[in-house]
Amino acid sequence: MSTRRVPSLLSGYYFALIALLYLPIGILFLFSLNANTSLSFPLRGLTLDWYRKLLESEAVLRAARNSLVVAAGSSFAATLLGTMVALLAIRYQFRSKNLLIALAVLPLIVPFIVLGVALLLLFSTLHIERSLWTVGIAHTVVALPYTLLIVVSRLAGFDVNLEEAAMDLGANYPTTLRRIVLPIIAPAMVSAWLTAFTVSFDEFALALFLAGTEPTFPVYLFSQLRFANRLPIMIALAVLLMIGTLTLVVIAERVRRAE
Amino acid sequence: MLDRRSTFWILYLPPLLWLGAFFLAPLGLMAAFSFRADMRGDLLQIWTPTLAQYASVWATGSYVRLLGISALVALAVAVSATALAYPIAYFLAFRAGKRAGLYLVLLLVPFWTSYLLRVMAWKIMLGSEGVLNSFLLYLQLIDNPLTALLYNRNAVMLTLVYVWIPFAALPILAALQRIDLALFEAAADLGATPFRRFWRVTFPLSLPGVLAAFFMVFIPTVGEYVTPLLVGGSRGSLYGNIIQDFFTKAANWPLGSALSMIMLVGTLALVAVAVRLVDLRKLIE
Amino acid sequence: MKRTRLLLGIALSLALLASACGGGAAAPTTAPTAVSPAEQTGSLTVLDWAGYDDPDFWTDFQTTYPKVTVNFEIGASDADIYAKIKAGDQADLFHPYTGWLQFYVDEGLVAEIDTSKLTNWDKVPDSFKQIGQINGKQYFIPWDWGFTSILYRTDKVPEGIDSWAALMDPKFKGHVSMWDDGPGAVTVSSYIHGYDETQITPEQLGAIKEEWIKQRDANLFYWAGEPELVDGMANGDVWVAYAWQGAYATLLGQGVPVAYANPKEGRNSWVGVYGIRKDSPNYDLALKFLDAKLAAATGNNVVNQFFYGHSNQDVMNGITDETLKQAFSIGDPAILQKTNFTPNLTAEQRDAWTAMWAQVKAAP
Repeated sequence: MSTRRVPSLLSGYYFALIALLYLPIGILFLFSLNANTSLSFPLRGLTLDWYRKLLESEAVLRAARNSLVVAAGSSFAATLLGTMVALLAIRYQFRSKNLLIALAVLPLIVPFIVLGVALLLLFSTLHIERSLWTVGIAHTVVALPYTLLIVVSRLAGFDVNLEEAAMDLGANYPTTLRRIVLPIIAPAMVSAWLTAFTVSFDEFALALFLAGTEPTFPVYLFSQLRFANRLPIMIALAVLLMIGTLTLVVIAERVRRAE
Repeated sequence: MLDRRSTFWILYLPPLLWLGAFFLAPLGLMAAFSFRADMRGDLLQIWTPTLAQYASVWATGSYVRLLGISALVALAVAVSATALAYPIAYFLAFRAGKRAGLYLVLLLVPFWTSYLLRVMAWKIMLGSEGVLNSFLLYLQLIDNPLTALLYNRNAVMLTLVYVWIPFAALPILAALQRIDLALFEAAADLGATPFRRFWRVTFPLSLPGVLAAFFMVFIPTVGEYVTPLLVGGSRGSLYGNIIQDFFTKAANWPLGSALSMIMLVGTLALVAVAVRLVDLRKLIE
Repeated sequence: MKRTRLLLGIALSLALLASACGGGAAAPTTAPTAVSPAEQTGSLTVLDWAGYDDPDFWTDFQTTYPKVTVNFEIGASDADIYAKIKAGDQADLFHPYTGWLQFYVDEGLVAEIDTSKLTNWDKVPDSFKQIGQINGKQYFIPWDWGFTSILYRTDKVPEGIDSWAALMDPKFKGHVSMWDDGPGAVTVSSYIHGYDETQITPEQLGAIKEEWIKQRDANLFYWAGEPELVDGMANGDVWVAYAWQGAYATLLGQGVPVAYANPKEGRNSWVGVYGIRKDSPNYDLALKFLDAKLAAATGNNVVNQFFYGHSNQDVMNGITDETLKQAFSIGDPAILQKTNFTPNLTAEQRDAWTAMWAQVKAAP
């Protein structure tokens, strides 16, 4: 691998962008310590009150939990279904193949608002109450193209001889899949899962139309924008969530390096 | 014996049923609703189809015009985000080395902070008494706060580009990672400069990823409605806002459905044209 | 052959979907009247706006009936609540606001309320009781209320504001904020021009649309929630705004120099009401809930936490906080005469006025 010294420009660009990405987060962090309920300078003094109130605020924590549950469930389903279609796309020939692939990728082409509205119509007309399930279903549909494309681009480079060798040695296809194919495409599946999780966790456009009694965190946040005195608590939670994920990431990286 | 053929149904049915029930059926229902006269009566009923909603949309020229503007905005955002994301993906694929995984997640972690709040934070930064303005005023680079940064269409576009760059980097990264490094060595052996190597080898091979990134940003942005709500002001509304209003503020589902169908058909047509121009099969194979 | 399999697959999935609906029916409750409140069991579902699910706002019910479970569904707006009820939502109670009440009655979605069972009913002033009456029958119980007027920064607008026309004044270019609501815009225009709100003609509606398209020059952003407005005013972006008194009270509390106008056309008043869904199996329990909503502790929480009024007159008379007294203009007994209550829309008006607003936003 080339180690030419142009990299300083590229890495500079990367870190500059990271700084830009984290700038609003830094500002949010500042405001979570702000003694005022309004989001403007000058700050009115530092306080940890909002974090305290957050821990007492069952609704906010529940909304965060809901988002985690929906993201976990929908990303799992999307990765599963996406991998299935990817395998079909690369390994099989059948008449409706192009139709299936087109169908799986089509959600990419449908703007979220159209899909959200359409699913709203479906559930309302059938008198199916909106819930975390309906949100999760929508998230799975929109994440499916991403998981499909990510797994497919990995599968496409996969040597079919490995499969045939395994089957020549007596393995049936499910076993071949499990022991040969899956381990090799596992990193792509993880990447797909991560993407699907990301798509779902903070997703708002669809969730707004499809959430029921239990809101996801973005939906809850948006609804709370009505009430000024609740906002800092939301910010405190957002900051905590971010610190939490950052910590997890650092730990995961340490573990990975140690292996 | 469970050979490849019989495993077919296990792989085929679940995605098909899922997409049929939760993708095709809802869109079909929405199409049906677009031919409904009003909201009276039960939601589930057979109604006499009418073109009244479409006629209403056609008569209001501003809706269709707004759709065109939304498409142009989406185009600008998609091009910018993809272009700005490419160096990130390149850095992660070829320069980050062992730390690539960490850097990638570092890029994505802000997504686990609420998008709504991040946009609110941008408002704080760009507002007339915000960070940027107070900083510039302090340095006496400007006399009056800049008001052009917020509550207009430009603010919407800037915010969208900012939000999409990390996400656009992903498919480009995936495509770059697929490139066989032996090709680089071959290019070097043939005497190619780094720039030529990039232009003749790397970039063409990453093109499927670039196109994927472009469409991944373009399509959702056409129907974007959240960002205009937060930073668009009175004039920054996009087509998606009109649809949303008809569903949430007006409870006028037939008209909202008609507007949605028009956008859906328009988007599909656009993509069909684009697919003709760029053979998408290269993406799959 | 493959095509039939495809169709079979779709039919199967729809059948599965249809069978999933069966689980949506509400569980029947017993609610016998002979049981003491403390022993009363059962459950209620309330379709309400975000924030009102907080126990503070139904605290009397919780204290009196501790064993009853109350679940909340959140509605994002009046249109959302209306759509949910139409879609067969199983909530027992819902919380719409003035202007949006007629459709529920016309489409048979709400049950008549037996006010003889409400012990706190006599504490509600007659003018409020009437708000909840449609076609002569009591369908809704008034609960929270407030004013709409023009809120302005006294330091940026030292000359004061005396008319709704200020929202359109080019003098305030880039510093006005209007509520994101079509019917609200029609109301303001009808106050300015003296139109009859219940009889807006298509010509008048066209003129109103042009007026609000032009108003965009003065308007900075449309606010959908009070925090947006409060932030905008606190940091000086917004000088003049269409506002409820909640924002006024919040800003006063923050020490921002603001005033709440008394326009010559009169302030607007809105009232939030609760209705019981027709065919709710928990009618009696829902009535008890409504009665508790009218009680003093709940009312005080509404006033003190959201700075909104409460329909229980005793609660309003008991306000001592100076900020709140200013917000409600308690010192001016004639204020209720000088306000205009929002009339109820017909379905046609709702469609026409919301479409008008969409066109204002879509205009070049």
